[in-house]
Amino acid sequence: MSEEFTLQTEKVGDSLVIKTGGYINNVAGEKISQVFSDNSNTDVKNAVFDLENSKVINSIGISYLLEVIELLSGKNGKIIFLNLDPSIEKTFKIMGLFQFSQTADSLDSALKVLT
Amino acid sequence: MEQGHLVEKLSLQAQSFQEGFKILTKSDTFEQLMKNFWHLLRANFIITNIHLLHQESVNSPWKSMVPKSKTDDADLPLLVHQDQQSVINYDNNKYNAVIVFPLTDSSYLGILFGDKLDNTKFTDYDKITLQILMQVFSSAYGSFLNQKKEKKLIFELNEKIMQLNNLIDAGIEISRFDKFDFLFEIALEKVASLTNASSALININDMGSSIEEKQIIFPDRTPADKILNSSFRIESSFNFNKKTYHFILSEKETRKGATHFNELDKLLLQAITRQVQTAIENDYLLKQSLEKERIEKELLLAATIQQNIIPKELPKIEGYELAGINIPSREVGGDYYDCMDLGKGIYAFIIADVTGKGISAALLVNTLNAALYSYKEFNLPLSELTEKLNKLIFNATPADKFITFFIAVLDTKTGRLDVVNAGHNPVLLIRKEGDLEKIEASGLGLGMLDLGLPYQEQNLTFDAGDRLFLYTDGIPEAMNKNEEEYSDERMFEFFKKNSGQQAAEFIKAMVHDIKGHVGGEPQSDDITCLILKRV
Repeated sequence: MSEEFTLQTEKVGDSLVIKTGGYINNVAGEKISQVFSDNSNTDVKNAVFDLENSKVINSIGISYLLEVIELLSGKNGKIIFLNLDPSIEKTFKIMGLFQFSQTADSLDSALKVLT
Repeated sequence: MEQGHLVEKLSLQAQSFQEGFKILTKSDTFEQLMKNFWHLLRANFIITNIHLLHQESVNSPWKSMVPKSKTDDADLPLLVHQDQQSVINYDNNKYNAVIVFPLTDSSYLGILFGDKLDNTKFTDYDKITLQILMQVFSSAYGSFLNQKKEKKLIFELNEKIMQLNNLIDAGIEISRFDKFDFLFEIALEKVASLTNASSALININDMGSSIEEKQIIFPDRTPADKILNSSFRIESSFNFNKKTYHFILSEKETRKGATHFNELDKLLLQAITRQVQTAIENDYLLKQSLEKERIEKELLLAATIQQNIIPKELPKIEGYELAGINIPSREVGGDYYDCMDLGKGIYAFIIADVTGKGISAALLVNTLNAALYSYKEFNLPLSELTEKLNKLIFNATPADKFITFFIAVLDTKTGRLDVVNAGHNPVLLIRKEGDLEKIEASGLGLGMLDLGLPYQEQNLTFDAGDRLFLYTDGIPEAMNKNEEEYSDERMFEFFKKNSGQQAAEFIKAMVHDIKGHVGGEPQSDDITCLILKRV
């Protein structure tokens, strides 16, 4: 059901679309964090996380996502999550991620919100 | 600079210090705090060459914070500690000032000030400004640490709520029968997520055996050896239905690397293990209950088939008495008896017993019954009829299924009695004078082999006062609680002594005698018999 963690990114204007696959844990969190510290992404203000292929996350993974949220909030940016597994959505709610982020039904609707 | 002028200048800058403090306290990260402080220092001293460094503890290496580029190693010895005191060295050869400033969390801030743009040295005013700015930074850093601590506490509190919530959800999901096929995968995902385990594994093997029958790993491409040989590992297991289910969690994750699992993690693993055990037990009980239900339905159907075949009423034959009985056991067997009117005062008496029980046995009885009625019209010699039946049953059944079969054809006018015994129990014949004859098998049971071997037909006479007793093995093998059989001997004796009674009375008395022997024990096989008497 789960695979080795994979990460795909695509830059759309000042937004970064990130598609993950597999367990979002410490290793995955580090990879996500690195994307935002990459020099080519210093101008990124917004992020869209497509978690369709990630069904499991632990609290270390969540801490990295919170850092991304803080980073982009500091730039007055927005964070949108797509295709959340119901259990992950519930976890995000409890951990307070939706205080500073939102969900969307599709990538198109997410990008509309960001432009 | 005059004292009055200095005070006036400092008071004018008070507001800018307060604004600087506000900017510093808005920093979300330590890196941002350092960068903001760096800007504040540059603005106040008109110096571009300022290096900010940080040291986590007195023995840790210095880390360049702003600018990010590594500070010259040769300059690091300039950063001197002094018992948690702040150290400021002015007029160093290379730097205008070198500061080592202790922070509230036992870490140190190091600052190297290069030349001022006007190439002047630090004035008293600059030194006072620097002291104030260091206090501003110290306060902002304290505030930053408190915010960080507060965030950490909120995160930990939310994490505990999340763990509790996920544990409840895991219990619900694990107990769902529609997800039973993914039970172990779900359990591993849940427990790994709950405990921050880097990976998890379940080994399933036969109890006492070390060879795993099944292994499930999460994430599924993790090498099993990595988990099994991990130094950071907790385990839990249970046995059920001769199998051992062994759960292993490997490497508790932190932001600083792997560490040992704590007591809460052990409790969470045990809780998930127990939930899996309960789910497996429930599934087993459900399957057993469904299987029981299926068997009961099959038995009911088998009993219905059998009861529909066995005659409800036997024909009345002038000059003869005939009675029979079939008492099916709880597990429906394949006993069968019948009496067919072949016309012209000729009757056939049949008794048979199919190996096995249940619906397959009942269906085979049905096949035999149908075949007998089909061949009835052809008036075949008994040996030929039996051969045809053997072929039919052989082709219709697997190797382990066969029928013991006895048929007697009586011409009621002449008393001629032709018989064939195909692997059945001896049929008893008592003559009027009391002599007991046993009509033994003269061929194999129907369906055992198809070698074309003939079934030997015997030709007897059945005179007035003679009695013929057909039975299945359910009678001599009826067992009491001491596992003692009713036995052939007791049955022969009973037949000898009591067969003088009316046929129906004899059957009742025999059943009574068998039940007296068995007592309250459940009936293990069908009780079937048929008695024919010539008056």
